[in-house]
Amino acid sequence: MATFIDQVKEMGVKQAVIAKSDEAVERLTAGMNIGDIRAALRGDEPRRPNPRLRPHADGFWLHIRPSFYHNEITRVYPTFHLGWLSTFMFVWETITGIFLMIFYTPSPLIAYSNMWNILSNVPLGQLMRNMHRLGAEVMVLVVALHMLRTFVTGSYKKPRQFTWVTGMLLLVLTLLLSFSGYLLPWDQLSYWALTVFLSGAESAPAPPIVNQNILLILQGGPSLGAGGLLRWYLLHVLLMPLLLGIFFFVHYYKVVLHGFSLPPGREEIGEDTAKRVPKNERTYFIPDILTSEVMWVSLLSLLLVAGSLWFWDAPLEHHADPVVTPLHVVAPWYLSWSQGWLKLAPKTIVIGFIPALMVAFIVMPYFEVGKSRRYADRRVGLSVAMLFIAFMMVSNWMGTPRFRVQSSPDMEVATKLLPQEGVSPILGIPPDYLWEGEYLPGQVIDGNPHLTYGLEVFAEEMAKHSCTNYPGTTIGSITLDNCEEGDHRMPDPYATLTITPVQQNLMRITIGIEALDPENTDEYLYSLDWVGYRHADSNYEEECTFINKSC
Amino acid sequence: MQVKVAIGTIALMMTMVIFGYSALREPARLESFTNAELGRSIETGASLFAGNCSNCHGINGKAEECYDLASGEQIGCQGLPLNYQQLLCGDNTERMVAMNWQGSKEAFIQSTISSGRPGTVMPTWSEEFGGPMRPDQIRNLANFVLNWETDELCSGPVITFEWPETVEDFVAQFPDGDAANGKALFVTYGCSGCHGVPDEGVAPAVGPDLSVIAETGATRVEGQTAEQYVYHSVLYPSDFIAPDCPTGPCSGPPSAMPANFPLRMAPNPQDLRDIMAYLFGS
Repeated sequence: MATFIDQVKEMGVKQAVIAKSDEAVERLTAGMNIGDIRAALRGDEPRRPNPRLRPHADGFWLHIRPSFYHNEITRVYPTFHLGWLSTFMFVWETITGIFLMIFYTPSPLIAYSNMWNILSNVPLGQLMRNMHRLGAEVMVLVVALHMLRTFVTGSYKKPRQFTWVTGMLLLVLTLLLSFSGYLLPWDQLSYWALTVFLSGAESAPAPPIVNQNILLILQGGPSLGAGGLLRWYLLHVLLMPLLLGIFFFVHYYKVVLHGFSLPPGREEIGEDTAKRVPKNERTYFIPDILTSEVMWVSLLSLLLVAGSLWFWDAPLEHHADPVVTPLHVVAPWYLSWSQGWLKLAPKTIVIGFIPALMVAFIVMPYFEVGKSRRYADRRVGLSVAMLFIAFMMVSNWMGTPRFRVQSSPDMEVATKLLPQEGVSPILGIPPDYLWEGEYLPGQVIDGNPHLTYGLEVFAEEMAKHSCTNYPGTTIGSITLDNCEEGDHRMPDPYATLTITPVQQNLMRITIGIEALDPENTDEYLYSLDWVGYRHADSNYEEECTFINKSC
Repeated sequence: MQVKVAIGTIALMMTMVIFGYSALREPARLESFTNAELGRSIETGASLFAGNCSNCHGINGKAEECYDLASGEQIGCQGLPLNYQQLLCGDNTERMVAMNWQGSKEAFIQSTISSGRPGTVMPTWSEEFGGPMRPDQIRNLANFVLNWETDELCSGPVITFEWPETVEDFVAQFPDGDAANGKALFVTYGCSGCHGVPDEGVAPAVGPDLSVIAETGATRVEGQTAEQYVYHSVLYPSDFIAPDCPTGPCSGPPSAMPANFPLRMAPNPQDLRDIMAYLFGS
C-alpha cells in the first residue's frame, strides 16, 4: 500500500487527495466510494460486484436492514411507512429529550422554575420543549396507527405472532413513556393527571395490601412528592427508553427474520412468500428505500418543527399545588378513553379491565388463527376491529371535558372566562385593551374589539347556563330559554365583569354572578364573585395564537 | 427516486430555515418570557396576598383597610404598611437599615415572609419553618409586594418630623385634637387591630387595653403623666413594656408594637394629637 507521500509523488497533490478521500468514504460507508454513491443517486445500474450490498454485509448501521425489499411493499400502501416513522419518533424524542435533560432537575423545589428557565433563558428552549411534547403525542399516534395497519393487513398472523407481541409491548411502553413525561414539569396539569392515574392504581382489583404497596412505590411515599417525581423521572429517562430500545430490536429483528408481509391479495392463501423475492421484483435498499426513508423523515421533521413553532404550544400551568384541585382534571387525549370508561363502570372493574384487554391483545394472534390474510375472508375480524375503534372513539369523546361532570352553572361560567389554568377570551385581551370599569355580558365597547369579544363570549356562556321566568328576556343579544321544572340553570341572573387596577401593570378581573331564588326572593340561589388577575407582561394574548390553546 | 431526493432536500432545507428564523427571534422571545414569568408570579402573588395577607396589611397594602377573611367584616389592621416608601424605595431601604439587614431587598422580603417577625403577630409562612406556604408561593408573594414600588411612590420626598421630647412641647405646636377623627385614625393606623376599640368595649387582641389608659398611664413610669407615657410609647414602643397584655405581661423589648410611627405620622403629626384626644376622651 502506497503511502500518501508516494501517491502525491506519483499522481500530484490533487489526484492524491481525491484518491485518499475516495478511500475514506469507502471506509465510512463500509464499501461504497464516491463514484458508487454518485452512481446510486443518479439511478445508474451498480457495477459488479455490487458495492451497494457491502454496507449491509460489512457495515454496522445497515447490517440489520434487508438489502432489498419486494416492490409491492415499497409504496405507501401497505405499510404507510408507519414502522419507520415510529422508529424515527423515538430518535426524535431522544434527541430533544437529551436537550431538555440538560436544563432539568427532578426536584419539586426547582423543577417548575426549570421549566420557566427553559422558556425564558435557554435559546431555542421553547421550540425544543414544544418539539419534544408534540413529538410525544405524534409518536403515540404513529405507533397506534402502525398497530392498526398491522391488524388490518393481517400481518400478525403466523409466522409473525411474536412480532405482534413485541409490538404490543412497544405500544404500551410508548403510552407509558409519554405519560411518565407528563409529571416532570411539576405543574398543576402534571400533578393532578398523575394523581388521577395513581388513584386508579389504588383501586385495582387486588387485595388492599397489594394496591397500597404499589401506590407507595409509584408515588414514592405516602403522598406524591419529591420521591415520586424522582421515580417517574427515572422511569421516563432511563427504564422505559431502555425497555423500549430492547423490545425495538427484538421487534425489528423478527420483522427482518420473517420478511415484510406482502399486501394480502398478492399471495396465495396460507402462503408466505415474503422471504422469496424474485430478482425482477426487488427494490434495493440502496438507493431507493434509503432515499425514500430519508424523504419521509425530512417531511415529518418539517411538519414537527413548523408545528412546534407556529401552531402548537406545550402547556405549562401553575406550580403543582396539592391543596388546590383544578375544577376539571382531564387526562391526555390518548388516555381519555379510560376517563370515558369510568363513566360506564365502577373504577375497580375499569382498572381491572385495562390489563385484561392488554393481555387479550397480546395473545390475540395465537387464538385468531384463520389462515387467510385477505380482507374478504376476515369480515368478522375486521368488523370487530371497526366496532372496537368506534367504541374507543366514543369512549375518548366521553372522557373529554364536554362530557364531564358539571359543577354549578355560575362556576362553569366563571371558570370558562377566568380559568384556574390556561387561557380564555378574557385573559387573552391585550393589556392595553383591559379598560378599567364595570361591564355587562354582551356589552359593546366602542374602539375595543377585544373586550367586546370577551363580553360576547361572556353573554354566550351566561345564556348557555341561564333560563328565564319572564319570556323574552335577553343577555346581550341572546334570548334566554324559559325555565322549566327542575331546571339546573340560573334563573334570570345578573352578571358583571369588573376590571380594577391593583398595582402597576396588574389588573383584577372580577366576574360577579347573582341569581335570586324565584320561590324566595330574599335569598340568592347563586351568588359568586370570581376573581382573576392579569399582569400586563403575562403574555396570554400570544398564547392564544396557538391552535391548541384557543381563546 | 430523484423526485424523492429533491423533496427530502427541500424539506430539510426548509426545516433549517425555520430553525434559523426561530433563532433570530430568540432574544426578543426570551425577554418576553422572562417578563411573562414575573408577570404570572405577580398574578399568583396577588391572589395569595388577597387570601392570606390582606386582613392584616390591608387590601391595598397600606394597612388602612382590612377585612376579616372569613366574615368579610372590616377590622383594624394589625400589620405594617407594605405599599410603603420606607419598605420599598431604593436598593437599601430605610426599613432594611432599621432592621440591620445586609442582603438584597428581595431576600429581605422573602425572608420576612418565610420566617415571620418574632414577637409580633406576623407568623412564619414558609413550610420550612412550620408555616403553610411552599417556597414558590413565598417568591410569588415577594414579587407581588415588590411590584408596589413605583416612581410615584418613591419620587415623593421623605417627610420627617422632629418629634419634641415632651408631650407639652408637642401639644403646644398643634391645635386641639379631634376625638372623632382620632377614632377613625385609630382604625386606619391599625391601632385597633391590637388594642381593640376602647370606647366600644371591643377587647384588645394583642396589646394592652387602652380604655383606662388615662388612669393607668400615669402609674407606669415614675415622673411621667399619662399623656407623656402614651405620647412616648407611641413613638418609642420598646422603651417601656406594659405589664397588662391580654395573655399576660407584654413581650419585649423589643415591643411587638411597630416602631415606625414617628415616620408614618411625620406627614401629619396632628394625627397623634387626634388619637390622643380620642384615648383621653377630650
